[in-house]
Amino acid sequence: MYMQTTHSHHLSLHDESILYTLSPQSKILATLLIVVSIAFSKIINPFQIISHALIVLLIIKFSRIPVKTYLKRLTIDIPFVLFAIFLPFLSSGNNDAVFTFFSLDIYKTGLLEMSAILFKATAGVSMGIVLTAVTTNIEIIYGLQKLKLPSIIIAIMSFSIRYIDVFIDEFKRVRISMQSRGYIEKGIKTLLPIAYASGAMLIRGYERGERVYLSMVSRGFNGVIELQDREYNNSNYLVLLTLISIIVLIMDLQI
Amino acid sequence: MSKYLEISNLTYQYPDGYKALNGISFNLDKGDSLGILGPNGAGKTTLILHLNGILGAMDSSIKLDNMEFIEDNLAQIRKTVGVVFQDPDDQLFMPTVLEDVMFGPKNFGFSDEASMKNAVEALNMVGMNKYQNKAPHHLSFGQKRKVAIASVLASKPQLLVLDEPSSNLDPSSRRELIDILLSLDISIILVTHDLPMALEICPRSIVVNGGSITQDGVTKELLTNDKIMKENRLELPFGFALHHLDEE
Repeated sequence: MYMQTTHSHHLSLHDESILYTLSPQSKILATLLIVVSIAFSKIINPFQIISHALIVLLIIKFSRIPVKTYLKRLTIDIPFVLFAIFLPFLSSGNNDAVFTFFSLDIYKTGLLEMSAILFKATAGVSMGIVLTAVTTNIEIIYGLQKLKLPSIIIAIMSFSIRYIDVFIDEFKRVRISMQSRGYIEKGIKTLLPIAYASGAMLIRGYERGERVYLSMVSRGFNGVIELQDREYNNSNYLVLLTLISIIVLIMDLQI
Repeated sequence: MSKYLEISNLTYQYPDGYKALNGISFNLDKGDSLGILGPNGAGKTTLILHLNGILGAMDSSIKLDNMEFIEDNLAQIRKTVGVVFQDPDDQLFMPTVLEDVMFGPKNFGFSDEASMKNAVEALNMVGMNKYQNKAPHHLSFGQKRKVAIASVLASKPQLLVLDEPSSNLDPSSRRELIDILLSLDISIILVTHDLPMALEICPRSIVVNGGSITQDGVTKELLTNDKIMKENRLELPFGFALHHLDEE
């Protein structure tokens, strides 16, 4: 009845990276600050772009994430790329065409916008890839708890992580039982049974939620879920890189 | 003399009008074990949810150790009565096994160190100590069941209530579970369809059918009475013969 469990959401790689031993709250905060400073940097300022690129590259190197895995996960960047490649054909209206490509004008503002989006999206996504590669999802929740996120959000997140596998497995079993009774999924016309199954799953999920709650109440639940304290190292390098990233951003604002 | 657990004329109707329990009365002495047998939908699970003060109006149809089931006693009652639910996935919700087992004791006011000590002890009792830092969804069903039991034992209950603990277990896991339960020095209420298990753990059983208690007596006598068994949709496993037990 209970089949193999899916581990659909395990992004973290267990390896020797120093980043793996750091406290998740510092990693989350550093990622957030660096991504924000990258987002606010100006594409026409080469100093900013090069320093941010160096910081991101250094962090990727520290993470020891295999190139293949990194590139595979970077594919999440594709929607941004698709959006960005149309931008050079657009202008803000001051007719700043740089050259013509198959009778289509390429504009400078568009080109800059495209480079900005490509750079910022790729750098931001890379930071996200590194964070999830060197931090388990439980640690991310723990880190967010340390960063004083409201306990209700922490609870929702930890429940999601705990039950997503249960839910996926349950849905797989439902589908297998449908298939074993001759159901073949072929295009949109055959989706009705899946819709019914999804409805049933929703109700089952709701009922399970109720049962989980009952079992918590019976063990004295009073509204607080606290994760055990864990031990981590601190890294001055990460703090330094984050500071540099912010300083690079601020220096430009003052010029 | 007052009994440890006293239930008198307990009745419960679900909000949709379905009357799940109808005039349930029974007592239990401290340290005794009781089997609750009966067909599907008889009201067994509804009954045990009352023992923990989860369902039912707070009234005096239940008394535990001379404690009334009133709002003020609720925390003490839940600490004293530990319920192990049917589906361990409903019970294990924390990211790691250890955190889950510590959930109860922490809520009941044990210090962090005491909670940790209790949790490790409880995990030792069920032989799951080396899985402390595993995520519950990485465990097998039998392991989850053991952790669910540990998560209740860690709060040091005086009365352990188990809902179908042997369902979906392989024979060895079932045997381990029975050995664990026999090794405990507390009262046990065992809700089960596994009649040989009830016979092994509980000298006395009640039979619930249609929301009422239809029988209350020595487990072995209930199981050897064909009429009672048929009337309550009970059946021993094929090939299981009780008269062998008499000869021993």
